[in-house]
Amino acid sequence: MSEKKNIPAGKRLLELARNNTVPIMFIIICAIFIPMAGFSPSYLLNEIVTRMGRNLFLVLCLLFPIMAGMGLNFAMTLGAMGAEIAVILVADWQIWGIPGVVLAMILSIPFSALLGFICGTLQNMAKGREMITSYIINFFINGWYQLIVLYIMGSIIPIMHTTIMLPRGYGIRNTVSLLNMRQCLDDLLAIRLGGVKIPVFTFLLVGLLCLFIVWFRRTKLGQDMRAVGQDLEVAKAAGINVDRTRIISVVMSTVCAGFGMVIYLQNIGNLPTYTGHSQIGMFCIAALLVGGASVEKAGIGNAFLGVILFHLMFIVAPGAGKFITGDSMVGEYFRVFLSYGVITLALIMYEAKKRMVKSKAGRELAEAQVKKEDA
Amino acid sequence: MKAKRRMLFSLLLVLMLVGVAAAMMVIGRGHTVYFDNKTLEDYQGQTYKSFEKVVVTVKGEEVAKLAKRERGMSIWIGQNFKMILEVTREKGGEPEIHEIDLKLPYNVDGIVVNLPALLAGLPEEAWFSEFVPAETEAPAEEVPGEGSEFDLGLDGELGLEDGLGDV
Repeated sequence: MSEKKNIPAGKRLLELARNNTVPIMFIIICAIFIPMAGFSPSYLLNEIVTRMGRNLFLVLCLLFPIMAGMGLNFAMTLGAMGAEIAVILVADWQIWGIPGVVLAMILSIPFSALLGFICGTLQNMAKGREMITSYIINFFINGWYQLIVLYIMGSIIPIMHTTIMLPRGYGIRNTVSLLNMRQCLDDLLAIRLGGVKIPVFTFLLVGLLCLFIVWFRRTKLGQDMRAVGQDLEVAKAAGINVDRTRIISVVMSTVCAGFGMVIYLQNIGNLPTYTGHSQIGMFCIAALLVGGASVEKAGIGNAFLGVILFHLMFIVAPGAGKFITGDSMVGEYFRVFLSYGVITLALIMYEAKKRMVKSKAGRELAEAQVKKEDA
Repeated sequence: MKAKRRMLFSLLLVLMLVGVAAAMMVIGRGHTVYFDNKTLEDYQGQTYKSFEKVVVTVKGEEVAKLAKRERGMSIWIGQNFKMILEVTREKGGEPEIHEIDLKLPYNVDGIVVNLPALLAGLPEEAWFSEFVPAETEAPAEEVPGEGSEFDLGLDGELGLEDGLGDV
């Protein structure tokens, strides 16, 4: 503590800026784009609040694998697929409103848990390459998902309603309407403040997840996860079942992602059957990175800041693009380029920082050795 | 002992989830209720004439104002349907208020209620029928997964698929 106090304020500020380059960059981008886009503050606030309710649960579920040192879990998409299958069944059974949402969440658990277990087991076979492994597992499981919704649903799994079935008699339509459960969670206990709708109940659910994460970190399993995340070998030597702990973290992440996807879909009000899950992982990871998280370290604050900044940029970028070029389509390209760009940049910066720390440690060790020899 | 206790807790949790899911399936079943203000002809030799005007209120919200030969609709979650009818039998007549409770069958999505028959106190077979959507022209064949991400990375035009604006 006293060591920290001895560092000059300027240097501390520089260190802070260096550690938070991505959020600072995004704050600057947003500050430039907001006046260009020309949206009113109440519109922006309304959009941000809506998107926070829609996405925060999904982003928070990424924290468990990071805790266990498995990096950013692209496999959260698997949980989203599990939730989509559950939502299709609930839509076919005509269970509407909040009971429909609750039922979809419960039904998603076995699908998400099974997929999470498969993913965690495969990731244990590819230690040190978890992110790319989970990314590729997505494509593998996506193939199975397509098989289920295209051929098995309607032919083997009974689907009663023709409104969600393809005209050929089996397979699910490109879009399933969720009109009867649209925003039912968001509207529950919702309040309006100066034209801004605050989905209180959805935020309560997000708050519960945050509390759960805070509590979970202090439990034995949470401590084990952190130990595994810090050093696999040390954790193993301490008697922690590393593989089991890692699988649990992925299962928890995918199950929470399933819940998050149900919250997301009830907000949107329809299910794009074949594309709904495909971008979820990428955008949630981008949001978390924008919030200042890294592959090794992420907290609840990063999730909140990330969702606000990332989605603020998403809202204002098309307008700013149109302002700059006169073409709204350029704005669309602009935000896609920025969202993928930020993942790349954050990953490069993380790697560069890691190497810098490593080389600094090496230099210090060499200097210490030289001093020892001189003495 | 510890393993036994853990298994018991897991089992209880699963049972609780199954119970909640079952409860949700019952209380969350959605129905569309259609109200017909149409004359019921020749039911056991009698004709039940349509009303001049019927105002249907469901959950405090006015969902339909029906003149003769008109149909209204409302959605309802659960099986115990409640509505308030404000019925004007003849032109210039005083409106009567009726509070109606109906038990909706679980397996039927769309339920058509003939209001003149219902208010005449006739048995269920007289006022209840299942809604069958009219046959329309065969819809254009959809191409499943069109524009979706089957390949690695970005699809179509730089990943600008439909849902992008809604993340």
